[in-house]
Amino acid sequence: MSTNPIAFVKEYWRVILLVAFLAFALVALFIPGGIMADDSLADNLGDNETAANQSGDEGFTNLEYGIGLDGGTRVSAPATGMTVDELDIDDNEQRDIESTLYTELDIERSDATVRYHENDDRYTAEVFTENVTAAEFASALQSAGLDVTEDDVENGVTQETRDEMINTIELRVNEAGLSGGNVYQEATVDGGYYIVTEVPGMSPEELRGLLSDRGDVQIVAYHPDGNGNQTNDTVLNDDDFSDISPPAFDEQEGTHYVPVTVDNTEGSDGNSAASEFQSAMNEYGFTSEGIGQCSVHDRDAGEFNFDQDQQQWCMLTVVDDEIIDAHSMGSGLGGDMESGTWANDPGFRMIVPTQQDAQYLSVNLQSGALTAPLDFSQEQTYSTEPALADQFKTFSLLIGVLSVITVSGVVFLRYRDPRVAAPMIVTALSEVVILLGFAALIRMPIDLSHVAGFIAVVGTGVDDLIIIADEVMSDGDVSSHRVFESRFSKAFWVIGAAAATTVIALSPLAVLSLGDLRGFAIITILGVLIGVLITRPAYGGILERLLTDK
Amino acid sequence: MGYFDVPDIQYPRYTNRQLAAVPLGLLAVALLVLSGSFLLTGAPVPLGMDFTGGAELTIQTTSSEAQIQTAFSVEPDSIQRIQAPGVDNQYTVQFAGIEDDEAIQTLSEQAAAELEQDGNAEIVQQESTASASFAAQTQQTALLGIAVAFVGMSALTFLLFRTFVPSIAIVLSAFSDLVIPLAFMSIAGISLSLGTVAALLMLIGYSVDSDILLNNHVLRRSGDFYESTSRAMTTGVTMTVTSMAAMLVMGIVASLFGIELLASIGTILFVGLAADLMNTYLLNLSLLRWYKFEGVRS
Repeated sequence: MSTNPIAFVKEYWRVILLVAFLAFALVALFIPGGIMADDSLADNLGDNETAANQSGDEGFTNLEYGIGLDGGTRVSAPATGMTVDELDIDDNEQRDIESTLYTELDIERSDATVRYHENDDRYTAEVFTENVTAAEFASALQSAGLDVTEDDVENGVTQETRDEMINTIELRVNEAGLSGGNVYQEATVDGGYYIVTEVPGMSPEELRGLLSDRGDVQIVAYHPDGNGNQTNDTVLNDDDFSDISPPAFDEQEGTHYVPVTVDNTEGSDGNSAASEFQSAMNEYGFTSEGIGQCSVHDRDAGEFNFDQDQQQWCMLTVVDDEIIDAHSMGSGLGGDMESGTWANDPGFRMIVPTQQDAQYLSVNLQSGALTAPLDFSQEQTYSTEPALADQFKTFSLLIGVLSVITVSGVVFLRYRDPRVAAPMIVTALSEVVILLGFAALIRMPIDLSHVAGFIAVVGTGVDDLIIIADEVMSDGDVSSHRVFESRFSKAFWVIGAAAATTVIALSPLAVLSLGDLRGFAIITILGVLIGVLITRPAYGGILERLLTDK
Repeated sequence: MGYFDVPDIQYPRYTNRQLAAVPLGLLAVALLVLSGSFLLTGAPVPLGMDFTGGAELTIQTTSSEAQIQTAFSVEPDSIQRIQAPGVDNQYTVQFAGIEDDEAIQTLSEQAAAELEQDGNAEIVQQESTASASFAAQTQQTALLGIAVAFVGMSALTFLLFRTFVPSIAIVLSAFSDLVIPLAFMSIAGISLSLGTVAALLMLIGYSVDSDILLNNHVLRRSGDFYESTSRAMTTGVTMTVTSMAAMLVMGIVASLFGIELLASIGTILFVGLAADLMNTYLLNLSLLRWYKFEGVRS
């Protein structure tokens, strides 16, 4: 062995590289989080009845776990809607066409939109409801004066709509007080997109509830129309609010409410949402004869009865076309509005019957309405209870260990030379350690499919090491460095070819959206690459050191 | 060598036709099974909930299996008890081919309402549902994935060896490596799931390794055909047997533990690798021998 450090590095660079990667992986795996005792494992094996304790992320590694190994729910569903792309319109026509869509199709304002896409200077029209057919959509656009046929209508919504939806859902998940949620879109083969929401620690029912609410909040004024009848006017929409505070409870009144502030920044016409709301309230009589005049809401029974003898002035809180609450104008707020000072400090309380209503209302106001509803007729759900996830964690570790023992057993039986077999096992395992370190580094959540990938990596890894060992040891002893190198490079051709086929075979899975399987493919491909580039050359180096006469 | 020796087949004693007859016969039988199943049921292999829509629940309950069978508005396709250390009263219940989306979503509620709770544990421990249209999408994607993987692997093989017969020999045996496990699934009643698709793709990558090794030894090295073959076999059989052992252990343990994904990957890879042993050393080898001794001259 040479004492010259440069020669040393030259000779053992393969092994040095492996050790460097291993050290790096171990740091990534263990150091930043500190080393904590993992008692969840012992708990599970000992007493399963009480395994409901949620161990969370507090393992002794920095690994993050996915839904299958940590508990939680994933819901995938596409957005409901249709799009017509590249409309031939001018800048000022955008709003007109939107209004034509509302009236022609008889749909809510939130169910249609005409967008201008700055990046590529084009207009699109979208409809977000199942109740409109492609033909109806096309004919509505035709009546707006556009040259559009049914064939121009595509299923699905624009990227901008999906981005807005993802933002809204993210806000909702965060608002619900759960961390670690993840919302993203996934492309399908036929050009569609699914919106995927993953939330640890939520049941499928809860998550579906969160996602199925459109969350379109309106304040509607229910007041006499002057001809002896009552009428509805929408006075505030959810984009009219500038600030939403967390839900609160008024001890004195015994009411749950959400404190809100209406936007009072003036538009080009000198009016703001707040001043328009104020003048509407004054005009409809809410701030004069209407103060305290609302009896449609029976709070004790939680019912609404709009068949009243007296004239009613009610503020209705409407979420997704459902009336949540109805209450009268208070004298304090009414007075401020009448004098016109309210718009300078435009806050008020949105009162709702229960704490849960307050929570939902606050979340819906904060996150805004979901631009398009999700289509639950095309959904896919996956969910695991934390207790079962812990069980899976233990079991997959056990399965991994058993597979490694099996592989080691076969290799030892075959070679019976620990000098060949032992480094083989160690090298294959170090491949897994490097991969785990990498997963911890990029915070890739480990799921069951990744575990399958790790086991596959050990399998392919050992296969290739067998090829190296057999090749290097063929035709008797390895006498010199040159003989070793020539045999090693021969073996490497086969390994490279085999690795290339595995990567090609699994790459469709890494790109296509096949749910769980992407993790499996990514880990296996990464493992093969790490194997070919780092660990297998290192095994060659170790083997050379052990077999050549030095 | 050791306790585990690679058997020496007396290749010179058999003609190419004799060697190829066994794997080709088995391939024909497998294709017959698949087409028979296709004619009878409309699908060559039973399709699981991932591809037809439906649900899979893992439930923890003290109710009996018979009670579980009748607890739902739709009758379960299978109920499997999980037999893992320290785990009692856990079952995996599968429902495949449900068209009605509403019905799929209410299954877990029905389980919670109809079954007996086991202590404090939640009844529905795991829920996986896919609506019929989502599943149809998945099916399309999976088929595309397998096709792309196979074509990619074939193209790479031709690129590596640049001669027709040895390359087509690899492609043919890889094809058979896929078809035989599929036929096995059809007979054993294992339904196609995302896990088994992953296994089939893995098989495409895994199984050609030993074929590449064999072709490489025979075509790219000097020396006698039988000597090269025997050397390639020593290495190749060790490789395949090691992987098979690992997959067998994973398949058995994971199916006892109720981890469906790992169980199906393990089982399918085990069967596929066994098929690969036969295809590599009978089918691929006979084609290679024909090419080496007769094909090259013409």
